[in-house]
Amino acid sequence: MSDATQSAFAAGLLEATPPPAGIAAWNSPSPERRYGVYRNNVAASLTGALATRFPAAERIVGPDFFRAMAAVFIRLNPPRSPLLLAYGDDFPDFAANFEPAREIAYLADVMRIEAARTRAYHAADAAPLDPQVLAEIAPDRLGGLVLVPQPSLSVLSSPHPAVTIWAMNAGERPVEPVADWRGQDALVVRPHMIVEVVPLPPAGAPFFGHLAQGRALAEAASTAMAADAAFDISANLAILLRAGAFTAIRKDQDDEDRDHA
Amino acid sequence: MKTMIATLALAGSLASALAAVATPAAAADDAKEKCYGVALKGQNDCAAGAGTTCAGTSKIDYQQNVFKLVPKGTCLSMKTPDGHGMLEQGMAPA
Amino acid sequence: MIPSALPRRTGAGFKPEHFAAIIAEPQPIGFFEVHAENYMGAGGPPHTQLGRLREDYALSVHGVGLSIGSMQPLDRAHLARLKTLCERYRPESFSEHLAWSTHDSVFLNDLLPLPYTQETLDRVADHIDEVQETLGRQMLLENPATYVLFSESTIEETAFLAEVARRTGCGLLLDVNNVFVAATNHNLDPGDYIARFPLEAVREIHLSGHSETVDELGAPLLIDSHDTPVKDPVWALYETVISRTGPVASLIEWDNDVPAWPVLRGEAAAAQRMLDAAARQRAA
Repeated sequence: MSDATQSAFAAGLLEATPPPAGIAAWNSPSPERRYGVYRNNVAASLTGALATRFPAAERIVGPDFFRAMAAVFIRLNPPRSPLLLAYGDDFPDFAANFEPAREIAYLADVMRIEAARTRAYHAADAAPLDPQVLAEIAPDRLGGLVLVPQPSLSVLSSPHPAVTIWAMNAGERPVEPVADWRGQDALVVRPHMIVEVVPLPPAGAPFFGHLAQGRALAEAASTAMAADAAFDISANLAILLRAGAFTAIRKDQDDEDRDHA
Repeated sequence: MKTMIATLALAGSLASALAAVATPAAAADDAKEKCYGVALKGQNDCAAGAGTTCAGTSKIDYQQNVFKLVPKGTCLSMKTPDGHGMLEQGMAPA
Repeated sequence: MIPSALPRRTGAGFKPEHFAAIIAEPQPIGFFEVHAENYMGAGGPPHTQLGRLREDYALSVHGVGLSIGSMQPLDRAHLARLKTLCERYRPESFSEHLAWSTHDSVFLNDLLPLPYTQETLDRVADHIDEVQETLGRQMLLENPATYVLFSESTIEETAFLAEVARRTGCGLLLDVNNVFVAATNHNLDPGDYIARFPLEAVREIHLSGHSETVDELGAPLLIDSHDTPVKDPVWALYETVISRTGPVASLIEWDNDVPAWPVLRGEAAAAQRMLDAAARQRAA
């Protein structure tokens, strides 16, 4: 089999071209339906991989629409790796710009929650920071603390009630009209073996977002305060500890000075 | 100066946060789930496409049909409190 | 080179949804098999569950994404991931398919067919050499379920596999359902295929269900769908094989419409009864 033959066989699997030259069946020189089995396997297995990763999205739009949307995505963005557990990281961005889904404005953000959840499921394991470690930090050093985020941590922010809609379509609560239609932010994190979606209070997203990027605690808190005066440091710190969103204190400048003293 | 204020606020906030988490949130997780997590289907396997039909998708013609398709899932049953269907909702206030 | 050495008993393909039922009590199962690519994440429940399973059972790691039949070079990064996985779990066996699935960096996620020519034989043998050298272990190569033939093929599939095994020292994974599916699809006699198969190189057998349809001329077209119990003609073929080989590690694969654990365990038990009968027959 030359590289060209393999190319032709591969090309027809994603595009509606006639079967490639050189294939045959015992009863036919042009076995369209038999070649179609391979085409079906590729489409069905990749659609299945996306449906496994985005079940809430499938419920929101219905299986027929989901399959059709997935088919277009697969043609434009076929997997570039045999690790299907990571396939579809960019499916939410695709959905955000997918014209037939335009009116479901919240769909892409629900899918971002689902993508973050599966990333967290497979992320490296790390023990959460022991609250006692923070309790023992001298007050004047708190503001300069830089924390190491869980490998599983994502900080998500939506102008829609995406967390509530995700929960309804993930079987965590009944599907019903959203009583309080406003934007929602959330952490997605796996502190131990269970992936959690933790809703955030006002300005929680910039606070955790900055912390996750390696900004110091005081800086993250000031940014959050500037973003929304309703920012409650205490409530957010309680979430930080309870959710196990960080694993350790990164060595900061003070530590360096102390080590060299 | 700004950092000073934040530092003072931080110390107090941390103290109340630590007090809050000292009372464990009610959690009655299944012990097995706690140790081993929930079972998610693996996405790689070596079976042929699910189902018996190879006719359904052997013609790739979704591209034409897809723009006529209308979402028909739970999006149809979710309405906002003021009675607007989600499909008319558009951008919600941030 | 570490030889492939599964217990000569029946095993089951591990499905995460069965985990709780499996660890609840000791299972009459000789080994579990997992698809390598599902355990290539950094951490989380897949590894915790597999680690727990490994405490009590022999393990077969079955790759579904290496694309050994590619005309392009093997994906070195993927081979490195397989090496990491094998070093972590030290499975009794590692196997892959006589097929390709990646082309021009696109992973097509299906086991695609190869024409059997000297050129493809050389390529496949080179790739298997590279896999075995990298992993430091013998691998098993599985016969594919195929739906089309290639006009350029000059070597029979059984002869192709025999020659690959001879040149590389790899073992073979005989998928009896694939034999039945492919033979039916190509209007051949599956018994004849088994008669020509290099059974002495077989270190593992796969059993699974398939589904039935027809081509545009009305001829039977079987699909390797792994979504039903093993069918009677496949059991019959299996009995023929093990009457010649004696007991061989035999796996029930069930990947779509997966039933509750006791159903899958029942299939493995049925295969075990046949293995026991074959052992008694040979002893007599």
